[in-house]
Order: sequence, then structure tokens, then C-alpha cells
Amino acid sequence: MIHICNLSKSYQKDSAALNDINLTIGKGEFVFVTGPSGAGKSTLLRMIFCGEKPNRGQVLINGRNVTRMSSSQIPYLRRQLGVVFQDFKLIKNRTLLENVAFPLEVQGKKRHEVSKKVYQALKMVGLENHLTKFPLEISGGEQQRVAIARALVVDPMVLLADEPTGNLDDQTTQEIMELFKGANARGTTVVMATHNQEIIKRHPRRVIFLRQGRVVDDYTP
Amino acid sequence: MFYFLRCAGRNMFQSPLLCTAAVGTMTVSLTIVAFFGVIFFNFEELTSYWGRRIQIKTYLETVPGALVLQGWLVEIREYPEVDEVVYVSQAEAFDRFKERLGQNSDLLHGMTPSILPASLEIALKEGFRNRQGVERVVGKLRKNPHFSDMRFGRDWLERFDSFVALFKFSAGILGGFLLFATVFIVSNTIKLTLYARREELEIMSLVGGTPAFIKMPYVIEGAVQGFIGGLLAVVGSYLIFALFLKQSLVSLLFTMGVGRVSFLPLRFQLGLLGAGVVLGVLGSLASLRKFVRIHYS
Repeated sequence: MIHICNLSKSYQKDSAALNDINLTIGKGEFVFVTGPSGAGKSTLLRMIFCGEKPNRGQVLINGRNVTRMSSSQIPYLRRQLGVVFQDFKLIKNRTLLENVAFPLEVQGKKRHEVSKKVYQALKMVGLENHLTKFPLEISGGEQQRVAIARALVVDPMVLLADEPTGNLDDQTTQEIMELFKGANARGTTVVMATHNQEIIKRHPRRVIFLRQGRVVDDYTP
Repeated sequence: MFYFLRCAGRNMFQSPLLCTAAVGTMTVSLTIVAFFGVIFFNFEELTSYWGRRIQIKTYLETVPGALVLQGWLVEIREYPEVDEVVYVSQAEAFDRFKERLGQNSDLLHGMTPSILPASLEIALKEGFRNRQGVERVVGKLRKNPHFSDMRFGRDWLERFDSFVALFKFSAGILGGFLLFATVFIVSNTIKLTLYARREELEIMSLVGGTPAFIKMPYVIEGAVQGFIGGLLAVVGSYLIFALFLKQSLVSLLFTMGVGRVSFLPLRFQLGLLGAGVVLGVLGSLASLRKFVRIHYS
């Protein structure tokens, strides 16, 4: 599903954010990308959804080389990926319904289909009664659930999550993890970057350990 | 399209402050342009009025016979530069002179109209009311030996030509600066309003929005704001014209011979609305190019 070959990225001449990364993530896998701050976790995820361009190497998703994609092709790739961020990245002046509906609207889906799917996605994360609320009217945990609903509403082949529980308490973290596990159980490949070792211990899945931009460990407990 | 219109409408209602700032800037900028236009068009009317007074007078040594005179009038009327030719007989010239003397007209007591020559007064068409136009007609008239004494106010004509040239040059320079300042101010205001929404634009691109899909509501919003700005500028400049400017312009131009001042012609008013829309669209596109593009690798 995801093949990463000789991937390198550096922002300054003498320090590499990613250094010759080689990885393969299979379809339907649940993978934790972990490591200390500055290890390159977020950079690796950004390379996968074309948030940045590598200096060297390739990222292939379903056989397509995304590092060589033109700007006009990138939106179409992103429609097949769901991305969840630590800071939720919700549009603040739009309701929860509008936020979750947006990825479907960009795909030109019919209005009734959008309404149906958005309701189902928000119901899945337990927020079907807050459709007309704005992001700032709900808690951080709820905002993250909305972000997950937005990522899952398009039935993505890959769900990328960059420190999705970074700002959340234990109880909410557990709820979020259950949502990811549910998506994974339905066939979505999940790649989650976290520095929280507690989560990794509680949810034993494949772990890719990065340090100073290199893969130093790759194991499945 | 309905979706984009709905988004544009929602953006404006949800960010009234940003919307007001953009519309306000465009209104003020276009009102200044309109204000300049009012002054320009009325002064152009003045130069046009002065231009209408440009004429060539040719004095006739002898009074021609009716057939000869008719032949000359027909010939001169066929000149492409000529608008009208009038024959002024000796009697008419004498009456005019008498009228001009007013209370001193008794000085002419005992004199007959034969002391004054008959003449032809030739008025020119609008595009030829300048030195070149006059000289072309004079050149043709000189071929007729009967038209030896011609008057067309050479010095005045040169001063008039210089004034018109200076007026148009100054208007061009001022108008150019004004337009540049307007484009600069409006595009920067739109840039600021979009800067406030850069996070929203980033999120849209992250969930798969194509640049065209992301930009369209903001471009429509820019067009609508530009249209409203243009409309308010036309209304605002009319109010300024009617309440403050009209009286001053009437006083000023009346002393120069123009008795009527007018507001902007309809084509210029429509031009202001169009300029508002174009400014809004181009300002939005230029700013969006920057904000939407940066999120792509």
C-alpha cells in the first residue's frame, strides 16, 4: 500500500529531518510512528500527504509515486487520504456539519448524499446532536472527534494521524483510539504519529521508531 | 455555481468586519476616482465649449453675385472639416457692429453698410477645432483668390491647443496615479482579509480542495464586494456632487462661459461598477494565488 524508498528531507544544510527512510506499510495495517521530539514523525506524515516535497527518495501509495505528482493532482490524492492533526484544523466559522461536509463537497457529491454521510460520520463519533454548533463551542476532545469524522467521511484508504491525542486527557485519548481501531477494523490503513509510549503499550500494534530522521527500530509486539 | 454563491454569501455574513473593510476601501477609492471624473468631464465640456467658438472668417473684397456665392457655399460645405458656413452680408455686419457699440452706436450715424465688407463665417467639426484643422481649411480657401483676407485668431488658437494638450496630459497623469493607488490599496485590503482566513484556506487544501474550488467563493465574494463598492461610490459621489460640488463648479464655469454642469455620464457610472467588479476579482485572485499555492509542495 505505502512504499517509502530512500526518503530524505533536510531544511538546513547540516541537519536532516529525514535520512534515507525505507519502509513498507501494508493494506489494513495499524502502524505507530514514534520517537522523541524532532525525530521526523510529522515530517514523514507530511511527505505521505504531499504537504512537503522530499529532497530525495520516493513515496508510493498504491503504486503511484506521490513525490512526482503535479500540484493539480495532489488534491485528488488527498481525497483518498484522511488526515487528523494535533490542533484539529477545523474551520472555525463553519458548523460541525459544514466542516465534515467539506471533503464531500469538494468531490462534487450530491447534497442528500452529503447530508446522509455527514450524519453517519458524526453519529459514529457521538456528535450527531451537535450538527449546528461551531468548533469553538465544543471541547478539545469533541473537536478532535469532529476532525476524525471529517477524515473518515470520505472512506479513506489511509488515515494519517499526527499526534491526534497530544492535547487530550486519558479518557478522551482512549475514545479517540477506539475510533481509530474501528476505522482500521473496517479496512482503513492507519498511520499514527505519537510520542506517547503509554498509548503504544495499551494498543500493541506495529511500531516504527524514528530518531534524528532515521528508522532505528521497526517491530510488531 | 449555487454552492459557490452560497459559500460567498456565507463568508460575507460570517465576517462582516472583513467584508465592510473591503467594501469600504473600494467605495472610498472609487469615489475619489468618480470625483476626479466629475471635474474632468466638466472641464472637458469647457474646452469643448471654447472649441465651438473656433471659426474662420474670410472677408470678401467685393459682394459676390447670388450664383457665385451659392457656388462657394456648396464648395466649402463639402470640405470634410467644415460643419457650417454662413454668409454675413454688409448689412448684417453693419447691424452687428451697431449692436456691439451699444450706447455709442450713434457714432455710425450717417454711415452706410457699404463701409464694412461682407464675409463668410466657417465653423468646424469637433475633431478639427484645433490649429491643424484650421490650417487645413485655410489652405484650401487660399486657392480661391477672392478669399484673401482671412482671420482665425492664430495666437488664441495656439494658446487653446496648448491648454487642451496640458489639460489632457495632466488628467492622464493624475488619473493614472489615482488608478494605480486604487489598485494598490484595494489589492492590499483584500490581501489582509484573506490573510485573516489563511488557516481556512490551508484546511481546504488539506482535505482535497482543488485551487479552483477553494478560490471560487472568494473570487465571487471579491466581485460582489467590488460591485457594492462601485455602487456606493456612484451614489456617494452623486451626493457629494449634488450637495457640495455642483454650486462651486457652476460658479467657476459660468464665468468661463459654460452655464451648465453635469454629473458623470452613464457610461462612466457603469464603468465604475465594472471597475469595482474587476478590482474585486483581480485583487482576490492575486492574493489567493499566494495563499492557496503555499500549501502545495
